[in-house]
Parts: sequence; C-alpha cells; structure tokens
Amino acid sequence: MMQTAAPEHRREGSGDPLLEIVGLNHFFAHKGSAEPVLRDLSLSLRRGEMACLIGRSGCGKSTLLKIIAGFMRPSRGACLLEGKPITKPGPDRCVVFQEDALFPWLTVRENVAFGLNGRALAKKERAHEVDRFLDLVGLQGYGDYLPRALSGGMKQRVALARVLILSPLLLLMDEPFGALDAQTRDEMQDLLLNLSQQRSQTILFVTHDVQEAVTIADRVLLLDRDCGGIREELEIALDRPRDRSTPQFQLYCRQLHHWLRQ
Amino acid sequence: MKGKERMLTLLIPLLALTVWLAVSTSGLVPGYLLPHPLTVFDSGLHYIFGTPGQGPYAGRFRDDFSASLVRVLLGFSLAAALGIPLGILSGRLALVNRLASGPINGLRAVPGICWLPLAMIWFGIGIKTTVFLVAVAAFFPIYQNALTGARLVAPIYYQAGAMLGVSRFRGIFAILLPMAMPNIITGLRLGMGIAWAYLVLGELTGVPNGLGAVIMDARMGGQIDIILVGILLIAAIGRICDRLLVALMRLCFKSARRQA
Repeated sequence: MMQTAAPEHRREGSGDPLLEIVGLNHFFAHKGSAEPVLRDLSLSLRRGEMACLIGRSGCGKSTLLKIIAGFMRPSRGACLLEGKPITKPGPDRCVVFQEDALFPWLTVRENVAFGLNGRALAKKERAHEVDRFLDLVGLQGYGDYLPRALSGGMKQRVALARVLILSPLLLLMDEPFGALDAQTRDEMQDLLLNLSQQRSQTILFVTHDVQEAVTIADRVLLLDRDCGGIREELEIALDRPRDRSTPQFQLYCRQLHHWLRQ
Repeated sequence: MKGKERMLTLLIPLLALTVWLAVSTSGLVPGYLLPHPLTVFDSGLHYIFGTPGQGPYAGRFRDDFSASLVRVLLGFSLAAALGIPLGILSGRLALVNRLASGPINGLRAVPGICWLPLAMIWFGIGIKTTVFLVAVAAFFPIYQNALTGARLVAPIYYQAGAMLGVSRFRGIFAILLPMAMPNIITGLRLGMGIAWAYLVLGELTGVPNGLGAVIMDARMGGQIDIILVGILLIAAIGRICDRLLVALMRLCFKSARRQA
C-alpha cells in the first residue's frame, strides 16, 4: 500500500472528543466598548461526526468558525483540538469558504496541489494524488483550467479537493454552498456526503439553510442569536441517503424553523 | 476581426500623417517650422543608418540610443528596486505606511523638473543626474501601484494560504506578490513611460550623447527635422520598451501570464 500524503483517519470509537470548546467568549471592540459576539459557548465534536451550526445572521457563526480555524484568537476560553490548544491556522483544520478563495493565477491542478508544497512527496506521487482528488470531486479533465473559467459549483469542488487532499482532522465549512443555485447545491451536498462518509471526515458545517442542515448533519446545533452560546441541539436520527420528502425529514425541518423563529 | 482592430489603432497616426503631408506639400506651413515628412524621413535614415562623419548627425543613433537606454534602465531599475518593496510594505503594514506615506506623497507633489537644479549640483552634468531624475520620476507610480495592489489582497487569501500550511514569510512570495502582480505591472509600465520622459529632461543639460541630447543639440542648430526624428524615435522606443516589459514579466511570472 502506497504511503499517501497523510494517513487517512478512520471513524474511531467515540472516545475523546476531537474538538472541545469550553467557556468561549469573544468581544469586538466597538466605539470604545467591548461588544460581545460569543458568550460562554461550549461545544464538542466527536471524531467522524458531521455537525451543522445554524443560527440567524449576525449571531457569530462565522466568528466561531474563524476562531476554530485559528484565523482569530478568542477573547477568553479554551479551544482544543485533540486536547491541544488551537493557536494558529493549519492544515489539520481546513476551511471551505463561502466566497471564491481559489488562487486565480494557479490552474485547478496547481490549486489542489498547493497545500502539498511543503510536504516531502515525489513529483509523480503528488501528480497522482492530485489526479485522484480531481476524480473524487468530479473534475477529471479540468486540471489545466484557470479558476475564472469555472462555474461557481466547480470552484467549490476545487476548494473541497484542495483541502481534502491534506486529510484534515476537521473540515470547517462556512456556508460553502450558499451562493449556488438550488440544483447545484443539492449536487454538492450529495458529493460532500459521499466523500465524507467514505473518509469518516469530521465536519463542522455552518449554514442558515434548515433543509441543508437536516440533509447533512448527524447533529444540528443552534447558536443563540443574543450570543448566548449553543441554545438547542438536535440529533438527526435519519438513515442515509436521506429523502427530503419524507414526513420525518419535514418534521426535523419544522422543529429547526421553529427554534430559529423564537 | 484582428486585421480590423489593427487598422483602428493605425487610423489616427495615418490621418495625422496625411494632414502633415497635405499641410507641408501645399506650403501652408513653412518648412522652417514644420519640415516635409519626406525630409524628416530622409534625416531619420541618415541619423540611423548613415556613416558617421558624413554629416553632423549621420550614424549617431547607435551611440545615442545605447547611452539613453543605459540611463533609462539604470534609473528604472533603481525605481523598481525601491518602489516595489516599499510599496508592498506600505500596503501591508500600517506602521510603515504611516511612516512612509507622508514624506513620499509630499515629495510626489514636487514637479520632477524641480529636481533638475539640485541634481546638477549634486551629481554634475552627465549620467548620474539623468539616472537620478529618471529614478525619482519612475519611483512614484511604481510605489503607489505596488501599495494599492498589496492593500487590495483580500484577507481570505492569506487565511486560505495559512490553513494550507504557508508561513507568513513564504506567503509574501506564494500569495501576496502574485495577487498584487497586475497592479505591480501597471506601476512598472507607468514608471517606464515616465522614465523616457525624464530621460529627455536629464539629457537636456548638456550631456554629449543620448536621444534627448540630440534633440537639444538640433534645436541650437535650428534642425527641426532632427528634433522630429528624435521625438518619433523616442515614441517608438518607448512603445517597444513597454511591450518588452510586459513580455518579460509574463515570461518570468505565472501570475503575470495568467491574470489580465
């Protein structure tokens, strides 16, 4: 068996949480006073779990994701990945952004290979890895395209491939399909579910789309709109693949809608 | 379509030439103010291809051109070597920007020609004065555009780089410079254009050779045809330099090749 870029992890028994956040507080300086964004937030993610974070706009979803990604230091509180405090961004916690964040001067292939640059990997193996991931996201034949020649959905496929190739412990997704049309969004959700189940990928997925949350999540977390931390939690006990037209699916959606409106 | 576009770019020069021909041939404007195009063409041929010694300007082009080119390239390289790093730093670091932008913008308000007397006292008459003037003038657009380019890079690209394992230092070359490349090129092109303008200014001060010197020399002798030859040659060479600069950047940098 060939040694790949990093060992792919398997779904392990629900022992230690992969991500643990305890008593997180974050403030923005605003006109001389500290405006709270997140207050006393605690949350933990199991290995292999797919969790969706929903909440009204402005409730701090994206801020929380940025803190976990290491782009921001929280004002107070502990943020631990495998028990170690998160201090800076790194390939163990990759983000798929809502907006296009591909490097415009690099081809699709070069974008996907970008994160492998620092790794000791022979040229041939690297090319092989890149091809494998382009196949996985359904972009075979597009390797030499520049991002500007791609549609929004294809760009997000590249964005997914360039982080999955690094086998991150935790995949952070910040409304990644929010800017796509409904049909493309469904396709991308299916793609994400296929890939993450094959790889037992742990995911924290931010969305404001209730249907999307119920489609993807093992567990949905509702962030309080007055920055009061996680207000509600809902385990989605539906078999996969999930049929969006079943009454149970609709029931979950109604519950989440209800909470969001409160 | 391609041929049509080429025709369009040539349209105005051809019109100007026609008007010039008409005005000169009809005798509307006397030859001592504006010589006939054919006279200018003839003088140009002499200046470029003539055997040195056959006339005051015959065959001087090669020496003048190489002298001027060296001055422009030296001044331009100095301006780029200072302007790009300073601009990038000012665009990214608030501290550097606060330190540098005041003085630099103040100096920019000084018309380039004001530096001439000072440069002559500092450096005397010759290559140093010209190189100094060219460098000062070319610096500002290069600096300003590098600054704008660096400032416009959205934080999301640094975040993407950081999560993909790029250190802050390597990010300068892996992300910042490629992202800012279109602006850097714009600055370099503007700088190159200005470099040729200030070359002439620097060479007006009595240096023995150079395209600007020839123009000044011809004025003293009342040889308008040579003045016009000098102007047309500088225009043509400036255009070629611009093209070569863009081609060189595209050759050297992926980010220049693949971003408009």
